[in-house]
Order: sequence, then structure tokens, then C-alpha cells
Amino acid sequence: VNLVLLGMNHRTAPLALRERFAVSEIAPVLTKLCDGEIIEEAVLVSTCNRVEVVVVTKQPAVARMRLRSFFERDLDRDGESPSRAALDDALYAYQDAEAAQHVFRVACAIDSMVVGEPQILGQVKDAYRAAVACGTCGSILTRLYERAFAAAKRVRNETRIAERPVSVARVAADLAREIFDDLREKTALLIGAGEMIELALEAMRGAGLGRIRIVNRTRARAAALAGHFDGSAHGFDELPALLEGTDIVLSCIGGNGPVVTREVVARALRARRRPLFVIDIAVPRNVEPSVDALDEVFLYDIDDLAGMAEANAEERGREKVHAEAIVVEEHRHFDGWLMALGAVPTIRDLREQAEGIRAGELDRHLARLALSEPQREGVEALTRALVNKLMHAPLATLRAQEDREQGLAVLEAARRLFGLDEQGSGTNRSASAASAPDAAPGSTPDAEPDAAPDAEPDPDVD
Amino acid sequence: VIAVGLHDAAAAVYLAASVLATLGLTVRAPALTRAAVVVLALGALVHGVAFLQFSDFQIPPPHTGLPGAVSLVAWMGTVFFLGYLALNRRSRLTTLIVLVAPAAFVGVFFASLARVSGAPVPSDGPAWAHAHVLLASAGIALLGVAGGAGLLFVVHHRALKAKRAGSVGIPLPPLEALDRVGAFAVATGFLLLTLSLVTGVLWVHEVDGMFWPGTLHANTTLVAWLIYAALVVGRFVSHRGARTCATSAVVGFAFLSVAVLGVGLLP
Repeated sequence: VNLVLLGMNHRTAPLALRERFAVSEIAPVLTKLCDGEIIEEAVLVSTCNRVEVVVVTKQPAVARMRLRSFFERDLDRDGESPSRAALDDALYAYQDAEAAQHVFRVACAIDSMVVGEPQILGQVKDAYRAAVACGTCGSILTRLYERAFAAAKRVRNETRIAERPVSVARVAADLAREIFDDLREKTALLIGAGEMIELALEAMRGAGLGRIRIVNRTRARAAALAGHFDGSAHGFDELPALLEGTDIVLSCIGGNGPVVTREVVARALRARRRPLFVIDIAVPRNVEPSVDALDEVFLYDIDDLAGMAEANAEERGREKVHAEAIVVEEHRHFDGWLMALGAVPTIRDLREQAEGIRAGELDRHLARLALSEPQREGVEALTRALVNKLMHAPLATLRAQEDREQGLAVLEAARRLFGLDEQGSGTNRSASAASAPDAAPGSTPDAEPDAAPDAEPDPDVD
Repeated sequence: VIAVGLHDAAAAVYLAASVLATLGLTVRAPALTRAAVVVLALGALVHGVAFLQFSDFQIPPPHTGLPGAVSLVAWMGTVFFLGYLALNRRSRLTTLIVLVAPAAFVGVFFASLARVSGAPVPSDGPAWAHAHVLLASAGIALLGVAGGAGLLFVVHHRALKAKRAGSVGIPLPPLEALDRVGAFAVATGFLLLTLSLVTGVLWVHEVDGMFWPGTLHANTTLVAWLIYAALVVGRFVSHRGARTCATSAVVGFAFLSVAVLGVGLLP
């Protein structure tokens, strides 16, 4: 079997194109995709940054064409397909090991726009569950995604890829948590009501911020934002008084001179006697830089925050190397499992051949010997034990291959050495084994891989 | 023998807690830090049982000279820290263990080397003596926690003022939590230290008939008391800044340490 992956993401397709292919109802689309004999299993991941389908197939070239037309005909919500060239430029395709590694990298947030972001793992899990629910996720993709989730967990635990924030808003929120013990008890004062303020406020709210007060030159805009965040709107003249009851100041308002002076802050500090965290993301700055000299004030401007965010992004980039190593390691486990899955037919042929020889020879000799029933059973057990012991090492070697290339070479060698591909030999012996009345229970071929999602291709000889 | 064994075992458990806490801080694994707290609690339990064995369940327990007092300070500091954590579950103060656990280990290890029961003062000594040792031990323990919190506060404050990339995500307690535990520990510790000074004076008066012995121990203790008095006034009356208070707590505890060592090692 082969894995084929086709998709587009934030690097290959602009938002205008991605949003045309975004899928909200996955189940009907997947069911339609798997209708037919080309595609055996499929999982579709659709987020704001990517639309990807990974499938299991025995006909990779045909499946790739099928997926291409699937994007063009079934996913394009506008009905008017982009030009063939535009779609070809936007789509990327991976097969087998590359496809599996891509799934791992996506789940581990290495392939994300913001490396290490936590949302993607949940989105991939949702996509996997949707595929399981509509019956398009079989044993191979189940195994693939289980390993991908394990890899993601390891990346999160063993690297610092997600440890430090990389957006200015998140950096500000994390800094607030470094200063204050419990943000739920804190009050934030917003000076301005623009988009930047809103983003920073959302991050603060995510960190658990309690009360919000907003001052703005246009009181109506302040009131609108206050309504959205369940805060209170105030006039500019109230600023000095509001500072006294404020723990966090978020400032981003237009104007030439500073809005918050050292004198005003010093007066507020005398009245409040608690630390004050001031975030000034305006250009030109709204807060006098000398405010930072006050012991109880922590003033961060846009350069401070952006510098920290950038340094954190670089740190994540360094951690990405460790994450990639984990992906390679986890992928090797999956590839080993897939390899063992490929060895199942050879293992079955080998065992059928051995059993055929054993049963044939036993019948031939028993006919010439006058043995009692206990003696016959003893000889039977002896031959079975001999065959099992002789076959143990080759079968164990076949199952233990983890490297794809080496595994294929070993499989090829085994088939040649034991003459499994010789004309008629395997078939005749198989038939002989199947007809043998005393076929040993241990010689029954293992369940096919599709029999159960977690079925291991692990025939037990002993 | 059981008491000595338990005391040594407490030192070993404190050491394990210290290793876990340090690992938790360096590899930024909160699970390790939480495990360190559990191990520290186990150490405090073993340590407490050892004290009961030493005292032979007498009340008040016989005070046992410098090693015993240092061990008692370590135990009381640990119990105070664990109690504060238990009562303030929402406070993110757990990583303060990175100072508390090693301090507890050093105290108990020192006492173990000198043998905690060494040079015992007769249990029928003056009541002021018992009160002085117990009150001073409790006060020093609390002021030690305040000093540790103050040290972390100064380090964290400096990092946040420097505005370096590493400032965010430092696994140290928030400034506010450190300031709060420092304020509580200083207020309570200063009260206990004051009471220990009074009982110490009464002890000396009962034994020697004088009110102030003039020894290095007494003098450095008085200097430490004055530092803490200034700190308490600055903190709760004049409302000085948190960083100034944190620095004062560190300096005050340094003086106090000299005063404690002065009990047995200095004239």
C-alpha cells in the first residue's frame, strides 16, 4: 500500500485561494472521496492555514489524479475553479515516507505559520476523529495519526518549541503574569480603542484579566469596545484618577506629546502602592520614557515587546531542530510498522511452504511405519517443533526490519532463498498445507492488516 | 539512635527535594517542582518525628545548643513555607522551594554533622531559655523565608527591568507573590524576633543579674532587629517600594545569620 498526500497551505496558496477550498462538513466529502476502489482510507485536515488530504491506496498515480480532481471539483466552493496552473502551483503532493513525515510535522506544529502554536494539534485530532466517525480511517491511517499525536506530545514535552510567546500581544500578557500573581484580581486601563489595543486586550483576557476601563478621545468608540469586553468607558479627563486604581496600562493612541507623564504616574503610585505594568505600543510613544525609572513601574514599549517576540521566535527556530529529530524518530517507528505490514505476505508464504513440506513428508513416512496413536502424536509434535525452531530466526528477521530499503532487500532475499516466487511452488505447497488434516494452529496465517485498526503484523511462530 | 537516624533521613529527603526543585527550575518542568514539594513535606514529617524523639516527648523540649537550634530553624522554615503554600493554593509561589529545600538541607546537614543532641542544656534550665530558643528559632525561620523571597524578588525585578528576551517565562514566582509572602513573613518574624529578644534579656537577667550581656551574639542580633524594625516601619508605615523592602529583608537576614552563628562559634 502507498500513502499519498495532496494539499495547500499558507506558504503555497494565498488566503483568497485557501478560503475557497476550506471544508466545514468533512464527513460527506470524505465519504465521497473513498467511494470506489482507488482510495482505501482518507483523512482531511482543513484549517485556516491549510487544506490537506492524506489517503491510503494501492494505485498511487491514479490516486494522485483522483485527489487533484477532488480538489478541483469537490472542494472548490465557488464552482469556478482557478486556472489549472494556479491550482498546480498551490498544491503540493507527497508520497509514502514524505507524506507520513509531513503529517507528523503538521501535528507537531513544525509546519505551522507560527512554529509551535498549540491549536494545530487539536485541529488535526478533530480531523482524525471526523474520519474515524465516517469510516474512512482504517488501520494504516489510525496508526499514522496515533504516532503523529505521540510525536506531538513528545515535541511539546521534550522541546521548548511552544514555551515562549512570539506575538507582541502574548508577550505582554505573559509579562503581566510575571509581575502579578492573579490577573483575575487586576484592573487594566486602556488608553485608545484601536485594533492593536484590541489584540493586546484579547491576549490579556485569555490570561484571565479581571476589570477593564477604557479611555479614548472619542467616547463612543471607547463605549463600543467596553461593551465588547464587558468594561467601562471613560473620558480623557479621568485618566489621572483612573491610574490610581489600575494595575496594567495599555496605551496606543495617536498624538504628538506623551499622554502619560512621569508626574502623573508618580502621583498615582503614591496613592496605590502596588506595581504598575505599562505597555506603550504607540508610535510616537504615549508614555514618557522616564516613567521606567520609577521602581514600581515596568514600562515596555513596542520595540521592547517586538524585540522579545523576535528573540522568542529565534529560540523556537532553534528548538525546531530538536522537534525535527523527534519527527524522524517517530516516523521510523511508523515506517517499521508499515514495513512489517509489507512482510506479512512473505511470512505467510514461508510458513505455508514449511508447513506443506512438513505435512507432506510426515504423511509419506507415517504410511510406511506401523506406529501406535501416541507414537504418531509424538512424531507429529517433533516435526512441528523442528519446523517452528528452524523458521523462528528468518521470520523474526523479516518482522524486525525498521529501515525501508534494508527491509525490502531482506524480503527479496528471503523470497529468493526459500524459492517463494518459483512457479507453482508456493501455491502447491500452500494447497498441501491447507489440505493437511493436522495443520497446526500456530501455522494459521495471521489476520490481514485491515482486520482491525490496531492489528499488528506479528505472526507468532513459537 | 532512632532520633539520630530519623534526623539523618530528613537531611537525605531534603536533599532529594532540593535536587528535584533545581531540576524542575532548570529544565522548566512544573511536575518536578510539584514533586519536590511533596518530597519536602515528607522530609518535614520525618524531621518533626525526629524532634519528638529527641525531646523524648517532653514539653517544653530541651533545647540543644547551636546545632539543634539550626535544625529547628530549618524545620520551622519548611513548615511555614508548606503551610503558606497550602493556605494560598492560587498563589504561584511553588518555585520558592528552590531556596527553601536547599536551606533546609544545609541546616539539617550542619546539625547532623555536629549531632543534633550535642552539648545539651539541662532540661531543668530557666523557662525563659526555652522560650527564647523556640521564639528565636521560629522568628529566624520566618525571616529566612522573607530573605529568600526577597532575594528572588530582587533577581526577578532586575530581569524584568532589563527587558531581555529571557525575562518572559522565567520559572520564578511572580513579583507580587514574592512581595506578599515576604511581607507576611517579615511581619510575623519580626514579632517573634522581638519576643525572643525580650525573653533572651529576661534569661540573662535571671542567670547573671544583668540586662544586656554585650556579647557579639547579642549585639549583632540587636543590629538585625534594628534593620528589621526599619524594614517594618518602611514597609507598613512609610510604604517604601517593594524592591527596597526585598533588599532590606536580604540584608537583615545576613545579619541575623551572623547573630545565630554567634551563639556558639563567636564570643
